[in-house]
Amino acid sequence: MRRLRRLWQKPLVERQLDSELKFHLEKQIADYVSSGLPPEEARRRASLEFGGVERFKEECREARWEHHLDIIVQDFRFAVRGLAKDRRFAFIAILALALGIGASTAIFSVVYNALFQPFVYKDSAHLVVLRLRDLDQPDYWRGVFTLGEFQEFQKQNQLFDSAVANLQDDMVYAVGDSNMELAGNYVTPGCFEFYGVAPFLGRWLEPADYQPGAAPVFVMRYATWFEKFGADSALLGKPFSLNAVSRTLVGIAAPRFVWGGADLWMPRGPEDPKVIRNERQFWGIVARIKSNVSLQEAGANLTVIAQQLSAIYPNQYPKRFAVEVLPFVYAVVPPRFREALYVFSAAVGLLLLIGCGNVANLLLARAATREREFAVRSALGASRFRLIRQLLAESFALALGGALLGIFFAWAGVKTITAVIPHFTIASETVIEMNGAVLLFALVVGICTVFIFGLVPALQASRCDLNESLRETGKGGGGTGRGGLRNAVIMLEVALSLILLVTAGLFMRSFIALQHVRLGLRTDHVLSARVPLPVERYKSGDQLNSFFRPLLTRLKSIPGVVYVAESSTLPPYGGIRGEVEVSGKSHQEKWYSLLQLCSEDYFSVLRIPLVEGRNFTEDEVNDKRQVVVINQTFQRRYFGKDNPIGQKIQFNGEQHFPQEIKDKWFEVIGIVADARNRGLQEPIDPETWVPYTVTGSAMRGILVRTTNNPATIVKAVAKEIWATDPSVAMAEPYPLDQFLDVFTFAQPRFGLWIVGIFAGIGLALVTIGVYSVIAYSTARRTHEIGLRMALGAAKDDVIKMVLRQGLRFIAAGIATGLAASLGLSRIIAGQIWGVSAYDPLTLAAVVALLTIIGMLACWVPARRATRIDPMTALRYE
Amino acid sequence: MGQEKAEFLKGTLDMLILKIVAAGPIHGYAISHRIQQISRDFFQIPQGSLYPALHRLEERGWLTAEWKDTETGREAKFYKLTRMGRKQLETEVLNWEQLTNAVSLILRTVE
Repeated sequence: MRRLRRLWQKPLVERQLDSELKFHLEKQIADYVSSGLPPEEARRRASLEFGGVERFKEECREARWEHHLDIIVQDFRFAVRGLAKDRRFAFIAILALALGIGASTAIFSVVYNALFQPFVYKDSAHLVVLRLRDLDQPDYWRGVFTLGEFQEFQKQNQLFDSAVANLQDDMVYAVGDSNMELAGNYVTPGCFEFYGVAPFLGRWLEPADYQPGAAPVFVMRYATWFEKFGADSALLGKPFSLNAVSRTLVGIAAPRFVWGGADLWMPRGPEDPKVIRNERQFWGIVARIKSNVSLQEAGANLTVIAQQLSAIYPNQYPKRFAVEVLPFVYAVVPPRFREALYVFSAAVGLLLLIGCGNVANLLLARAATREREFAVRSALGASRFRLIRQLLAESFALALGGALLGIFFAWAGVKTITAVIPHFTIASETVIEMNGAVLLFALVVGICTVFIFGLVPALQASRCDLNESLRETGKGGGGTGRGGLRNAVIMLEVALSLILLVTAGLFMRSFIALQHVRLGLRTDHVLSARVPLPVERYKSGDQLNSFFRPLLTRLKSIPGVVYVAESSTLPPYGGIRGEVEVSGKSHQEKWYSLLQLCSEDYFSVLRIPLVEGRNFTEDEVNDKRQVVVINQTFQRRYFGKDNPIGQKIQFNGEQHFPQEIKDKWFEVIGIVADARNRGLQEPIDPETWVPYTVTGSAMRGILVRTTNNPATIVKAVAKEIWATDPSVAMAEPYPLDQFLDVFTFAQPRFGLWIVGIFAGIGLALVTIGVYSVIAYSTARRTHEIGLRMALGAAKDDVIKMVLRQGLRFIAAGIATGLAASLGLSRIIAGQIWGVSAYDPLTLAAVVALLTIIGMLACWVPARRATRIDPMTALRYE
Repeated sequence: MGQEKAEFLKGTLDMLILKIVAAGPIHGYAISHRIQQISRDFFQIPQGSLYPALHRLEERGWLTAEWKDTETGREAKFYKLTRMGRKQLETEVLNWEQLTNAVSLILRTVE
């Protein structure tokens, strides 16, 4: 404490030192006087003995610890002054450092929060989801199960601590004369205890709520309550009319509780008679795996149970299957995005390396130009320790600037990424925040770089012969060892930035390829919406038609509307997949086709051209005629050269029809052109269309083609739906091209932006790096260049000489980078589509770009060198 | 003081100061006076060595200082040995005795 106090009591400390010494002097004088000397003589002698007071006062000060602090502050001030003089150097070094630190912290924070810490749920590391994978068809699996299956899994397996299930259902909330569509989830008992998150308000569902005859209740999602109901806590305990049932709101979930993406959670358990026997309701399962059990073990265990179940429900299971157990986070983050995050991490790591390389290079170059300064100072008696201390102070100033700016960049980066990250890429539970550990790591890497390379001049100064370096300056050549290190660093930078540029180039090519995919249908000017119907009242095809037929007519009367269709799925995804048979064709392997249920104008709304035959008519739809339109892929694959018109197709897939139909044979009446039906990136599957009236189903949607902006007719469409049946509400009304954008382009565009920005920054840093190295070396060769020109060298010769020198390490960097990116192409291959990871065009463009930029960076200092007047250059010294 | 004596002093000054201070609170002038007196003028400690040494010992926590009035009524800085200082003194004295013993052993035997 006393030591600290001395810091702000400096004047007091000084005064005390003074009076201590004065006391000594006076005592001495007094002693001399008392031994008989005259006072004048006594004073003179004492003072003489005492010697230079200031000198040993300084020594006393040095004995104190705060003295070191003084020196450090002095050094720091001196360092900042030095850096301010060399503003360009300081600015670039700090910026390079900050960009590296900021970008890597931002990206790693996203990765950490999205993949490793996405949930607030209790013990979320042990939460798993189940998937039933068809071993004969690698792309197909089902992630939902009947409640019967769920109960068997729960009862028989030994590897789960507990498990819960949710069933999604569309809820229509009736308020006055309008409807609001809300995403409902029926959940099994105990699920809130399972997740271990306290409710925000009110209570969770309790066991009593599941008892037969209990009053209907529900819990609302925080965001829904906040955004759609104005965060009104008075709503608690109030009844809501949901799907014509009055339910009481008993609680608001915690803000980050978003299970199933639902707006509301309602009790429905095995006790509920509506549920237990229903084999067409599919539930999602989340389980907590025992901590000593691996995912493989759990999967194997469940596969055995599922095999028993497949004997009871043969229709629900493919021939060969396995149950897969996956971490919960895998179910919410699409695999492609997960891999993209890893690619971003690698890219940002490269950027951090480039940034550090650049700083190292700048420091090395600066060290070289200061060789003379340090030689002089060392000749004037500055100790090596003192020089090191001063360089440390300089590094500290740089590191501090870089770190502060880096933290700011990291903060801004996290904010920006959070704002622009596409939908459906990270779990809704995830909150992305800056990660302290990651920030610390990036800071340490950056700061170490500064300190290690910042100390080079001190080592140099103490090592090299004074006379040598004093004499050497300005005489060209020189410092080859360090020049080699500098060249190696810049070569590495060029290589790293080439990798980044190639990645960005491939992402761009892939994105362009994606945008140029021939959809086979037109998404512009189309409004799409889901229209979930109450199952109880719309069971059969006739009942469906009694709603949609009048609705379609009403919608067509909206001004601007050209065509209206009803459909079971939205493009570019097509129908339900299942097994098919074609009359008169035998085959070994299973045949599959997508099946779409739709009304007659489906092809007109989407502008899918008819190739052969005809489309079904309104009458055929109303009459539930068993007719089918197929696409060209279906024709090619299953009919070959035969004419399909008039042939029959049987739909055997259990999943094809939501409701059982007796006769599964349909007559082919037409062929339409191929349109994308498994997203943009997957090849087109065989697809078929039949009148929607042949079966009942609650999962319906509408497509409306208008001549106006489709967003403007949303209200009118909602009104017509309300007018047709006030208990129905539409969900997710989006212009179709917007829908396509969210699901198809948003993610690649995000990736392109991220990688593109990194590549841009990397390129800028490398350009600066090349420039600084060449500028430095030509500056050192001023004398030599002057001599050459005096002896008759032309300007071009000089420029060529400098360019040749630069080209050497740029070429080496490009070669290294090319080799590395070819080696890494396997990682990138999963992220790009429609373009090869070895795409020669991209590689060539990147090599050309780097060469041109590199040559430009060399050319500027080269030209400056030739402007030197030979006489000045020779006199220079 | 001759060059040799100064060199000799360097290594033992701390110990001498500690020893003197161990007798009780004492100010700088008196310390130099006592050392000179006791050593019968063999050691004359220049102020340039004494005060930096005192401050160094204080900084290390072997001495503490206090401003008190002297017998003449003037205020002076009095140094006092701390517990750590006492321990240090013991070690240094022990070392010193071992050293002198060893040296005198050699000097006696090699005759």
